[in-house]
Amino acid sequence: MAESLWIALKVFIFANIIMLHVAYAVYFERKVIGHMQARMGPMRVGWHGLLQPIADGIKLFFKEDIIPSQADRAIFYIAPVIGVVAAVSSFAVIPLWEGFSIADLNIGILYILALSSVGAYSVILGGWSSNSKYSFLGGLRSSAQVISYEIALGLSLVGVMMLAGSANLRDIVNAQADGWFIWTQPVGFFVFLMAAIAETNRLPFDLPEAETELVAGYCTEYSGMRFGLFFMAEYAGMFVMSSLATLCFFGGWRGIDFWIFSKIPGIVWFLIKVYAFIFFYFWIRATLPRYRYDQLMNLGWKLFLPLALANIAFTGLLKLL
Amino acid sequence: MSLNEFIKKIFFIEILKGLLLTLKHFFSPPVTRQYPKEKREPFPGSRGLHALVRNPATGQEKCVGCGLCAAICPSRCIYIYTSEGEDHKKIVDRYEIEVLRCVFCALCVEACPYGALVLTPHYEYSGYTRKEFYYTKEMLLENWDKYMANTIGFEYFDRFWRPKSSDFKIQSEVKIEEERKVS
Repeated sequence: MAESLWIALKVFIFANIIMLHVAYAVYFERKVIGHMQARMGPMRVGWHGLLQPIADGIKLFFKEDIIPSQADRAIFYIAPVIGVVAAVSSFAVIPLWEGFSIADLNIGILYILALSSVGAYSVILGGWSSNSKYSFLGGLRSSAQVISYEIALGLSLVGVMMLAGSANLRDIVNAQADGWFIWTQPVGFFVFLMAAIAETNRLPFDLPEAETELVAGYCTEYSGMRFGLFFMAEYAGMFVMSSLATLCFFGGWRGIDFWIFSKIPGIVWFLIKVYAFIFFYFWIRATLPRYRYDQLMNLGWKLFLPLALANIAFTGLLKLL
Repeated sequence: MSLNEFIKKIFFIEILKGLLLTLKHFFSPPVTRQYPKEKREPFPGSRGLHALVRNPATGQEKCVGCGLCAAICPSRCIYIYTSEGEDHKKIVDRYEIEVLRCVFCALCVEACPYGALVLTPHYEYSGYTRKEFYYTKEMLLENWDKYMANTIGFEYFDRFWRPKSSDFKIQSEVKIEEERKVS
């Protein structure tokens, strides 16, 4: 009893910390993109706009929750919740530092991939239940995109699993004691990075949202905190993918074992790497325009999938020799 | 596809160039002006809120009620009502400008033969009702006192409204006059 209570407390604290990170990732994004466009980003709420995410949260929380009269109510209610639950529960298997993770699953990678597929349901169901053409198109696009990119995403991690001999994220990090997998799996990393951007519906692959074409895609009809939940799910998804990239290719909590750097605790290394990836997400967003839909599909099926497969074959060959 | 193009394509050279550009901008200072905190000095002669010139000799408006400004106004937002006073003098009873309809072309200022109307550089005025923007003669004269006080207004006329007498002088005379002004 006491133990399960302790776990529940741990999960509660952990989830809250994640939500705080998610909220401040929005602030970070607005600042980064603002400065890349020679603007300043939020400046008014608090010092340099530091309280902006909290103000946004309060605003979203107290906004009217509008449900279209023709919407499928039950699904409309549940869709954003699915997204957030799938994104946040992915963090359960992520080891933050040596010996810490909420759950030490032997199939950690599979679990995360499965949950990211479940997350796609929130987008599809949200788009469908809104009973609006824009939402519906967004949902359709999302389903096609997620199916095409999930394959590449999964296959790009197969190489890592082969090298580590395990799908447990802790074992994968431990297997990188002699060298990060980025050096042995550059192609896998590249495919993973692109597929992860597509998987989290971020620019330049944000076809399901596509403001200029579909108003706001699948969340056109959502308002208030339900919209906020979609937003949180997207950013939490970015954190999951960044963490996965860090764990599988950049040695997780392992830092540079050299001089003063060896004194830095593992969690700091982990966060630095994760935030570098988050920054990369924003950097890409500030730089590239959105892909056209057929280009997106071409890229997924004709480039990333063969690359990932070739990478597996090559890794297998190396393992045999 | 030549080899060069192929290499460019598989290593995303163009995209990397784009990324470098955005990164360069990331470290360049922002151009934002934090408006209500950092106000910008309006350029000299910029056209903002209207004002009627107060004649320093009489303390009244310079306007004689000829109606040229109302006639030329493209948005028809100037209303002038006059009556006959002593010695057949024309008296301007009401001089009103509906500022919300004004397009700030300053044709009225140009048309005025007496230099009795100006657009001040004041641009920050706002209100909750339309009525607040219906400026009467007294309000317009007040604007002159507020934004064109002392010599600012007359300097403004001197600098921006032509022809002025100095335009018809030879250059050397203008120089002498300017030097006199400075001293």
